[in-house]
Amino acid sequence: MSLSIQQLLENKGITPKPEHLELLKTRWEGIQSLRSHLEGIAIDDADIAVRSIPGGDHLDN
Amino acid sequence: MMRISLCEAFLEVIILTTDLHLKSVEELAPLLESKTLSPVELTKAILDFAEESQPKINAYMAFYREEALAQSKKIENEILQGQYKGMYHGIPMALKDNLYFKDKITTMSSKIHKDFVSDYDATVVEKLRDAGVIFTGKLSMHEYAWGITNNNPHYGPVRNPWDLDKIPGGSSGGSGAAVAAGASVASLGTDTAGSIRIPSSACGIVGLKPTHGRVSKYGCYPLAWSLDHIGPMTKTVKDAAGLLEVISGFDHRDPTCIDVPTDNYVQQLSGNIKDLVIGINEEYFFKDVDADIEKAVRASIQSLVDQGAKVEVVRLPSLQYAEWAELVTSLSEAAAIHHSDLQKRPQDFGDDIRLLFELGELPSAVDYLQAQQVRRQIKQEFTEIFTQIDVLITPTLPVVASTIGDDFAELNGKKVDLIDNIIRFTGPSNLTGLPALSVPCGFKGNLPIGLQIIGPAFKEGRILNVGYALEQTNPLKNRKPNIFANI
Repeated sequence: MSLSIQQLLENKGITPKPEHLELLKTRWEGIQSLRSHLEGIAIDDADIAVRSIPGGDHLDN
Repeated sequence: MMRISLCEAFLEVIILTTDLHLKSVEELAPLLESKTLSPVELTKAILDFAEESQPKINAYMAFYREEALAQSKKIENEILQGQYKGMYHGIPMALKDNLYFKDKITTMSSKIHKDFVSDYDATVVEKLRDAGVIFTGKLSMHEYAWGITNNNPHYGPVRNPWDLDKIPGGSSGGSGAAVAAGASVASLGTDTAGSIRIPSSACGIVGLKPTHGRVSKYGCYPLAWSLDHIGPMTKTVKDAAGLLEVISGFDHRDPTCIDVPTDNYVQQLSGNIKDLVIGINEEYFFKDVDADIEKAVRASIQSLVDQGAKVEVVRLPSLQYAEWAELVTSLSEAAAIHHSDLQKRPQDFGDDIRLLFELGELPSAVDYLQAQQVRRQIKQEFTEIFTQIDVLITPTLPVVASTIGDDFAELNGKKVDLIDNIIRFTGPSNLTGLPALSVPCGFKGNLPIGLQIIGPAFKEGRILNVGYALEQTNPLKNRKPNIFANI
């Protein structure tokens, strides 16, 4: 099942401007084409390197 | 003999204190320190020019005339009493309107936040106050910093001082236009995909995006947390170095701030670049570039070679996914910040940013996380190339400033999408967090061209010194815009 952009947004409680629907579709397709299949880049096991620092925001020395 | 030298001295003072709005901080600071120029006189001159230029360029959101003049009196007394603090003591400045001032309205140039009053100063504001900066007001920006035209639906377009029909770039377009025209001696901008460097390039000034974590973002309204930076926008490289000294440093209130020592950046401006290794990446940073921009940037690189630098060609294959990773990251983070308002009051956003917030609801969690994986790969490639080279030089933008209202740019005779193209060369440094400096390097007709210098993490001193070397040999460095030329 594939949802339209309008349905997807409405499921999140967002009412897109009707004039934006076509533009959203074009823009989203454009972004997807930039992504392509992520060929030629080794990301399979790449750690995203987000750190959860216990005890606060910074490592205190 | 005595009479002549007194006359000469008098004339010199007149010359030094004429057209104050066109002077840089490095020119004004010695006049303030030596008490040749009063901060009151300077503040008044800047405010007068800023108010006079407002109908032309629309750079200001708010003027703080009375407070600025009162503050300048206080600072005059400090300097007269021998308490001169340094380069920015007594310098009038206006800041981008997403930096919080205690008990003042900060609008983000939006309708939704038009009455928002912060009960604290942003860290950078606090630091500038301590350094003796006099605040003349707040500057316009693209709404919520989410765009590059500064064509603001609520407060009107900001205009490029070099050509009033053109955009100043954005999102810090008010800062770019104000500094270029002389309505603020220097300023700060914020940069998530290029928002310091884009208007700096388009308006012919210097813009520095420091390393992520170098400058505290506490008290800056976010656009996308992991990509946002605050940095100087100035008339000269030395002004930027001095301003970075004032605003940098660890701040525990910003979770992304990094506790590394700051430097004396002004002292590092020797202009000596002998044996510097410049990296050039042809596949990404010189692909689809306006021919005149490419020519100006390559000529500037040659001038550095003439001064003793060397050039090495480097490859950065992961950059082919940089635009995707930048878009997915920025769209998603911005949409998360504005999610609730997008549900409850979408009509209060400008049309262009409403579209971007709607778009930001579309990437999946997997898209976002894969974008972060790509980001890490790009960071690693940059780390590797900086073992072979000292700096990477690129054009700041592939195009010059476009016409206000157009959603396209002209690129070698073709119409191309404006936003996608304008962030193409600046966005990667937001993904990597590496420092990047834009310096003027030429003109296409009457429109400025910028060159970007990217360096390793926390090596702002190095990229500033390369910018300084370029600035010293730029034959066009004294060219100024004249916004009243056609009256």
